[in-house]
Amino acid sequence: MKYKVFVLIALLGFMAFALSGCGRSAAAEDPSKIRVGIVFDIGGKDDRSFNAAAWEGVQRAAKELPIILRDIEPGTPNAIEPAMRAFAERNFDLIIGVGFAQAPIMEQVAKDYPNIQFAIIDGVSQLPNVASLVFKEHEGSYLVGILAAKASRTGTIGFLGGMDIGLIHRFAKGYEEGAKSVNPNIRVIENYVGVTDSAWNNPGKGKELSLAQIGKGADVIFTAAGNSGLGAFDAVEQQGKQNGRATHFVIGVDSNQNMVKPGFVLTSMVKRVDNAVYDIVHQVVNKRFSPGLHVFGLDKDGVGYAMDDFNKDLVPPEAIQEAEAAKAKIIGGEIKVTDAMGS
Amino acid sequence: MKTLARELLFPLIAVIAAFVVGGILILLVGDNPIDAYRLLLGSALSWPDGIGYTLFHATPLIFTGLAVLVGFRCGLFNIGVEGQLYIAAFATAWVGIELANRSSWFLIPLCFAAAILAGALWAAIPGVLKARFGSHEVINTIMLNFIAVSLVSYFTQYYYKVPGDPILQTAMIGENAHIPRLGSFIPGLPERIPLNVAFLLALLCCVLVYLFLWRTKWGYEIRATGSNPSAAEYGGISIRKQIVVAMAVSGALAGMVGINEVLGYRYRYYDGFSDNYGFTGIAVALLGRNHPLGVIFAALLFAMLQHGGIYVDGFSENVTKDIVQVLQGIIILFVAAESFFKWLVGRARPQANQLPRVRAVTQ
Repeated sequence: MKYKVFVLIALLGFMAFALSGCGRSAAAEDPSKIRVGIVFDIGGKDDRSFNAAAWEGVQRAAKELPIILRDIEPGTPNAIEPAMRAFAERNFDLIIGVGFAQAPIMEQVAKDYPNIQFAIIDGVSQLPNVASLVFKEHEGSYLVGILAAKASRTGTIGFLGGMDIGLIHRFAKGYEEGAKSVNPNIRVIENYVGVTDSAWNNPGKGKELSLAQIGKGADVIFTAAGNSGLGAFDAVEQQGKQNGRATHFVIGVDSNQNMVKPGFVLTSMVKRVDNAVYDIVHQVVNKRFSPGLHVFGLDKDGVGYAMDDFNKDLVPPEAIQEAEAAKAKIIGGEIKVTDAMGS
Repeated sequence: MKTLARELLFPLIAVIAAFVVGGILILLVGDNPIDAYRLLLGSALSWPDGIGYTLFHATPLIFTGLAVLVGFRCGLFNIGVEGQLYIAAFATAWVGIELANRSSWFLIPLCFAAAILAGALWAAIPGVLKARFGSHEVINTIMLNFIAVSLVSYFTQYYYKVPGDPILQTAMIGENAHIPRLGSFIPGLPERIPLNVAFLLALLCCVLVYLFLWRTKWGYEIRATGSNPSAAEYGGISIRKQIVVAMAVSGALAGMVGINEVLGYRYRYYDGFSDNYGFTGIAVALLGRNHPLGVIFAALLFAMLQHGGIYVDGFSENVTKDIVQVLQGIIILFVAAESFFKWLVGRARPQANQLPRVRAVTQ
């Protein structure tokens, strides 16, 4: 018995010895190219929203810039740190972390590798080798709040949030202020899907909450709830159309979701994660990486509302004029939209 | 000796067969399987990061594998390991937060006790329900998983979260509750690698579980209940008691995952930390042939796949982490299809199989 165990251990040990050195040389890579590694959130790169936008950004960078792109989908919280370290160990030039949950981990890893450049999306770090890419979601939400109030006939609109956290309150507060700037008496019903990560991935509950809001009179619903938001799309579609026009509308988020249910989607509050990611890769390629806070607001088109063929008949020109006027005022500093996260 | 060889043979064949099938799959997506496997094993076994992380990932799987094993040996299918380890991890963090200022000598044993007791008590619930009312432990443990996960989420969100923190996690536990990382006394192993004393505890538990099941009266009674409840009862063993004891021991082992996670790694309770450890534990126990020694090897294998999988996902052209999951699935499938291999081996060497038997008869 002891003999067999010994053989097995010896075998494993031998494998370790024989293989440890080999893996690294497997792929011959051009050393002159900048190497970029991206670590996705638990949701993975095919979430059609936040991660997908980041993926789009790096892919565009890989097409247009001389970089080698590698990506890892950790799939579990305990794999995020080893994934980041896997890139760092191999001396990648830029490592991008997607999502606020990775911020504390990046803080640890970036400290150990001061010569590697890091970027975190939606998170903030003070380290000299980390760029923090954050968005003024409240500004974009203000504009869609204006469009919502303009479209509402009942004087009641809804907000469907995913996880009940500060980041999402930022969407809610901006939306409410925008709507009130058009109609001070408008009623905004606010609901959240949940308090855990699963709140991003529960379209069933998203739909129920939306139907409840519709029951209370809301005829425009803004979702900031990841996958759960798709429930609101269903709920609105279920209300049907009158005289060729939908009776209730939904406003999409993060990516342009106008084409998800054409005719029912008033607009989408887009957060250009793709542009932000592309920019940072561009900076690293041109040796102009700047750490610290990179804020993407209306001025840099980091946030905004999406207009295209799917919704051009839904939003009247007058509403767009008002939104554009507000946009200019926000950029000019005449309107200050409250940031619910207070920074 | 011969039984051991046979016990080792089939899991080994299953693993090799899985790697062959996985290799074909890798070939189909357009990569070289040899390179992919080299990358997988090479990064999982590199020193110090690979080995450090592999052993770290193996730690919870050894605990959950043992937990499932103890249940299996008593004829119980404990699918509730996942819930038990959540409750235990939270309990550990709770003690670590509430008594943060006490000395290490007092606090660490107390945190250990919290992890073990919380797991044991949570697992004892379906044990008692089965022993007293005959309700099936599979249903009850599954349902208790949902309750456990939601319960700790609730307490984390409304009572133990740092206000303003976007991540659903508790505050930090007191520094006195930290258990040392192995990097602090193994030369060459950096301390940033979260491999910690809980790994040694896991190995110790393997020995203890072996001694408990095969060298004590209680263990004998549990195994007797598992192999034939009627005979055990006829022999004067109280089956009801064994069911509760086995579930509690199983839950205690599951609970020790909390020690690794909370006291050795994150120093707080992090919601959703478990990568299905409880369910992978079932596969680990199965592949390990329900033996503590087998559990260690199976846990190491799954941990290697997990850590190496990150590198395969990142640094191979077309292979993604999904392939690694497929590999895991195939291994389990082949382990479950053991009789197929038995049949195959029996056909390949009929004489080798028959000769000893003949000799035994003639002797």
